[in-house]
Parts: sequence; C-alpha cells; structure tokens
Amino acid sequence: MEPLLKELRVKIVDILDLVDVRPDEIDPDARLVGGDLGIDSIDVLEMVMMVEKDYGVKIDNREVGVKVFATLRALGEHIRQNAPELQG
Amino acid sequence: MTDKRVYIAGLGIVSALGTGGTETLEALASGRSGLAPIRRFRPPGDPLPVGQIQEIDAGRTMPATHRLAQIAAAPILTAGGPPPDAVIVGTTTGGMAESESLLRAGVEDPEAYRWHGAATVAADLARRFGCTGPVLTVSTACSSGAAAAALGAALIRSGRAARVLAGGADSLCRLTYYGFLSLQLIDPNGARPLDRDRKGMSVAEGAAMMMLTADDGNPEAEILGAGLSCDAWHPTAPHPEGAGALSAMKSALNQAGLAAGDIDYVNLHGTGTIDNDLSEALALRALFDTKLPALSSIKGATGHSLAASGAVEAVVSVLAIGHGLLPANTGCRLADPALALFPLKTPKRAKVRTVLSNAFGFGGSNAAVVIVQPDRFSPPRTVERPPLRIAACACVTGAGATDATLRKLDAAGSCAGVLDEETLCRGLPPRLIRRLRRLPRLALSLAAEAAGDTRPQEVFFGTGWGALSETDRFLTRLFESNEQYPSPTDFVGSVHNAPAGQIAQFFGARGPSLTLTGENDAFEQALLAAELIGDGQHGPVLVVGADEAHPRLSPLFDPASAASAADGGGALLVDRAGSGPIVSLRFLSGDGGSAGAIDQLIDALGADGAGARYGAILAGIPAGKKTAASSQLDKVVSACRLAAPVFDYRQWIGQFATASAAAAAMACRWIGQGRIPTALCAGAENFEDGRGILLLGLGDSISAVEIFPG
Repeated sequence: MEPLLKELRVKIVDILDLVDVRPDEIDPDARLVGGDLGIDSIDVLEMVMMVEKDYGVKIDNREVGVKVFATLRALGEHIRQNAPELQG
Repeated sequence: MTDKRVYIAGLGIVSALGTGGTETLEALASGRSGLAPIRRFRPPGDPLPVGQIQEIDAGRTMPATHRLAQIAAAPILTAGGPPPDAVIVGTTTGGMAESESLLRAGVEDPEAYRWHGAATVAADLARRFGCTGPVLTVSTACSSGAAAAALGAALIRSGRAARVLAGGADSLCRLTYYGFLSLQLIDPNGARPLDRDRKGMSVAEGAAMMMLTADDGNPEAEILGAGLSCDAWHPTAPHPEGAGALSAMKSALNQAGLAAGDIDYVNLHGTGTIDNDLSEALALRALFDTKLPALSSIKGATGHSLAASGAVEAVVSVLAIGHGLLPANTGCRLADPALALFPLKTPKRAKVRTVLSNAFGFGGSNAAVVIVQPDRFSPPRTVERPPLRIAACACVTGAGATDATLRKLDAAGSCAGVLDEETLCRGLPPRLIRRLRRLPRLALSLAAEAAGDTRPQEVFFGTGWGALSETDRFLTRLFESNEQYPSPTDFVGSVHNAPAGQIAQFFGARGPSLTLTGENDAFEQALLAAELIGDGQHGPVLVVGADEAHPRLSPLFDPASAASAADGGGALLVDRAGSGPIVSLRFLSGDGGSAGAIDQLIDALGADGAGARYGAILAGIPAGKKTAASSQLDKVVSACRLAAPVFDYRQWIGQFATASAAAAAMACRWIGQGRIPTALCAGAENFEDGRGILLLGLGDSISAVEIFPG
C-alpha cells in the first residue's frame, strides 16, 4: 500500500479516537463513513480539518466531501491530486 | 387550583436590528438585514457576516453577554413594579467572550473570571431586580431562550411564582464563531433561510427579556402553551424528518388547546442551514398539511443569536401580535421548492391573534411556544401532578460508583477525589464514549446506573461548569493554530447540554430535555425543572447533576474547588406513580448573600414543628464560604428548631458544584437503609418513624431539598 494511505490510517485512528480499531484494519476500499468503523458526520469534519492542516487541501462543500470520504483510497487520491507539496 | 394565565407584561430586546421594541419594529417593517462582516475580532480568513451589536463595544465593565442581558432588561426594570419571584435566563456563552481572551493571555487570577459562569448572567439581573427567589439558567444550546420562557410559564402555572423575568442572552465569541465554522454551518454570503441556495447560518448576538405575570395589568400578550422535546438522534444534526420538532410543536398546541388551523403565523427556527430548514419544513408540513399559515424566519435579518434567539423571537412574536406586523423572511430570494414552505418575502401588515415560535438546538433540544393576544382564549387546565418518587439512584465520587462510595463512607473514609477514567467508564460501550471527555462520561455513567433496565424518557441535567475538557481542548487548539483549525468534535462537546443530549440519545428519550447551569445549585435547578415539566407519562424521568474537575479551568472558575481536585455527581431516576422515597425541592434562592433569603427558607420549612420531620440534615457548605454558610445554617437550625444531626457532606465527597446531586443519591440510599453511618453523622442511626433527610445548599445560593421514605 502506498505510504500516504498508511499515514492517513494512523492519523484517522488517532484524531477520531477510534479506540477499538487498529490502523491496519481500515480497508482502503471499504466504506469509510457510516460503515463498520462507526465514523459519522462530525468525524468527517474532524478529518476535513486534518486534511487542510496537514496537506493544505480544503474540502468545503458537502458534495465534494461525500466523494472524497467515500473510501480511504478516494481520500488519498484527492489529497495526492490537490496537495501543493505532493505536486510534481 | 384555578387555571392560570401567563401574561407577558413587559419586554425588552436588543439584536443586530436595534435596541428596543420600536427600533426592532421599524427594522422588521423595512425588511432590512442587520448582518455585516464581523468587527469584534479579526479572523485570519475573510470576516464572515454576523449579527453584531455595536453599542456594547465601548467601555465595558462586564462581559458582553451580561451587558446585552442588562440592555434587554432595562425597559422592564425602568417600568418598575414588584421584583420578580424568579429569574430565568437562557444562555450558553456566559462570560466566554472575555474568558477566552483571558485564557489566551494566560491570566491565572480567578478574580478575572468571576463573570465567566453562564449562571452569572441571570444572577446579575436578579441582583438588579432585587429578586430573592430561584435564579435559573437554561442551557439547551439554541433553544435556551424559548425553553426559559417555557420554564417560566410552567413556574407561574404551578403557582410557585406570580412574576418571572424570563429571556435569553448570548454574545459573539470565538468559541461559537469558529465552532460553527468548523461544522461548515456558516453561509459566507450571510444566512438565507429557506433559500434554494442557502449554505448555512450567520452567528449573532442579542438578548430579549420578558416579564411573565399571573396578573392581568396591561399585558402585551399571553403565553398559551409551550412544548419541549428531544430528538435523541444526533449531537448536532436535527432528526431528518423533523420528528422532535413536530413533537414539540404538537405539545405546545396541545397545552394551548389550539388546533394547527388556529395559528396565524409561525416564527420559524429557520437558521439557514441545509438540514435545519429541511427538517423543520417536513415537521411543519406534517403539522399543517397543505394549510400552512403565514411563516418566516427572521435569522436572515438578525442572524442566529443562539441561546438568545428563542427569546428574541418570542418578543418579535409579541410585537407581531401587538402591531399587526408579520416580519419578512429576509435573505431568501428563491424559496427552496424542496421545502414547499412559501415564506413571507416582504413584511406584511395583518391582524395576528396567534403565533407559534420555534427554537431547536444541539443535543436535539427542541422548544415551541404559542403566544397569543391576551385573554382571547381559555388558559390551559391546571394539571395537579403527584410528587416525584425516587425509583433508583446513583452517585459517582472519587471513591467510585454508588456502592464503592457508600462502602467507603461506611468505613469513615473520604470519597473526595477524581475517579480514574477506566473505573468511571466501566460498563459504557467504548464506541459510545470514544469522542466524549470527562463530563459526558460522568453523566452517562450516572444515568446508566440509575436507569438500570428502564428507559427514561425525560432528562433534566444540572451542571455547575459544563464540559471543561472539551472547552479547554477547543480553545487550546484554536489558539495554537492561530484560529485556523478549530475542532468540530470539541465544539460540539463543549455545549452545556451535550451530556444531556448523550443521555437522551443513549436511552432514546424523546420527551423534554433540559440542562440547567447554576454553579452550586445546578442540581437543585434541574430538580425544580423536573418538578415543573417532567410528567413521567411515557417512562421514568432522569434528574442528573455532574461536574468534572479540570486541572486548568476548575481552579480558575470555581475557587471552592481550588484546594483539592474532586468531581462526580448524582442521578435520581424518578416517577410519579411508584412507591419510592418522595423527593421535593422546598426552597431555592439565588440570593444567599441577603438575610431575606434565609428568612424565606425558615418560612418555607416552617418555624414550628420542622425540627421533628428530619432524621438528618445534609449541609452543602462550599469551601471559601464557610463563615457565611455556617451562620446561615445556625440561623435555620435555631429558628426551625432542627434537632437532627448535621452532616457536612462536602468534607467527605469533595468540593464540586454538583456535590449535592451525589448527596441526594446517598440520602436516598440511607433512607432505604434507615440509617446514616455513625462516623459521618452521629445520632442519625434511626429513620424508622418515617422521618426524612433535609439537604440544605448554603452559600451564594440557598436551597432545601427534602427526601422522605415512600
């Protein structure tokens, strides 16, 4: 798995206090929000802050958010395409 | 008891539209918006439109919230008349606007934070009005102002008060500005409630006060009914079909004895967020079907003044009735066809007899108030309710939960301290509490133990200081990131009624949910609210009091807690039908500083014959108030000839605001056992002849709670 996804898994478990989830249990292609992990809309907003703070990528509308947070892989892809530091 | 009317005999209002009824009416008649980019402080990004009041900026001696409450109350104070029997203020921010700056600057003098507490807004008004009765602070987030009016009306209908000053106040602060921003609930163009392209709300400040009276003098309007409910759905998002909103509106109409078709105008909660407006629209269509009355949200004009908004809009409803003016739904250009609500695009002159005013808040707390022309309709029938009986109780102290606490006290060991998180959370599902910090964990733990296998349907929660961990985390991260990366999780958790919301969600409790904030009498306030509002028809009622010890904030806000950290609380599961011990609030005064309050307490307990009723007296003597409290105690003991032994419980369970909630739970257990451990209270070994326990709260506020065997 690409390092960015591994890094995101660790960050997500940490910032969302997912006490009963290990980072490697987050399937990059499984539903991220509203699925087995117990992640809800407030968690999404917490992840929005993390993505903006750590990668400089703003996600400020709901339609984009739904797509971006569909899966861990989608989130990684969105960051990879939009993060200033990961360009070129 | 005769059916009582609740008149609105005087009012005052201040919002981004102006100060006083006349200015507010002129602004509403013009349809203009008072929203403008924030100037109170300079955010790093584009300053967002807010509802800001300029006049309070200069030369302040008290926090903005207090000053707004004073401005709103000024016309009522000037009009004179006897002092109110009670003061009820809905607020969430209290002195936060100033406290957050002090905290950022690292100020460590507790004196600088003396106006921090949300309860100090009501206390300040009570002092100005000379009120010696209950001083209550309702903190149900954005429904606080309407819930305060509902509670005030209930107090008058119960016959326990004839005049109640009720309202709401909140000021702009970083906590709410950045908190709502972090939730992506702000419309960068200014709130456009019900608009197809709406993107959110505009945070605002404001205040409104009403003098509610049982006497007809020359009233402006009448509160004919009020309804409270809880979504029990989500910490912030409204129920998607508006089930809780519908239930509150139905219950308000039911109390008023009106049909939906009798309503001339609905003042919407209408914040402008996508979800609120949708769920409110669904609730309205379920209530009115296709026969919608005239309706509008004024939040595109005033902004959303949070805890004040319910009171601001109640006053606007009174103005609408008195002046025949229906305000416009300012900001809405193209009404969202998905809502199918057809709001008033422009202000309209029309005769208004009846208004339904909505206010919904975080934690799923909903309130609806029916305001009508005075003396036009029959008042609601007075409901005589049996007393509250305790079916079960729980407490948490530094020693552990109920059994551990009582065992330790039996062995004459001190229970004061801070219980470790692992023991505290034993039995609570890890996923349920993963995002929660100490106060909601305490509250849930207490509620779960007290409720056992039952499913309470109403929650009355009292907290002296609210969720300090979440507040501290939110502000710390906000300032460390130069106001760029506030935490939505911590903001949601920092709201005073978040723990009650968690309890309601845990049990699916869809009845009234009220959070009262009151420093040392928060639990007693919650008990009073339960007596007035809790009906127990659909399940038992929870009355919970809890406070957390926060290493940084507790010593700053609550000097009594400075010497040694202690926290915990208590919960009573009550009903009106069982056979458990009877609990009742005999007396509550926010004015412990005056001699009058103690005399009133003596009257309430009865100077003659009171002494023999009690097997023990549990006295709450706050550290730092020992001299005053001891003299208050001596006076009561001597005047009422109280022969029972006195147990100074704070010495054993700790100095925290809601220690009395834990004491109430212990008292309930001790009554069941018929004795109090000798080491704690020599001479209280025998309750067999039906005697009860008197819980006295002393110091700045005075309270008396009685618990008698069932």
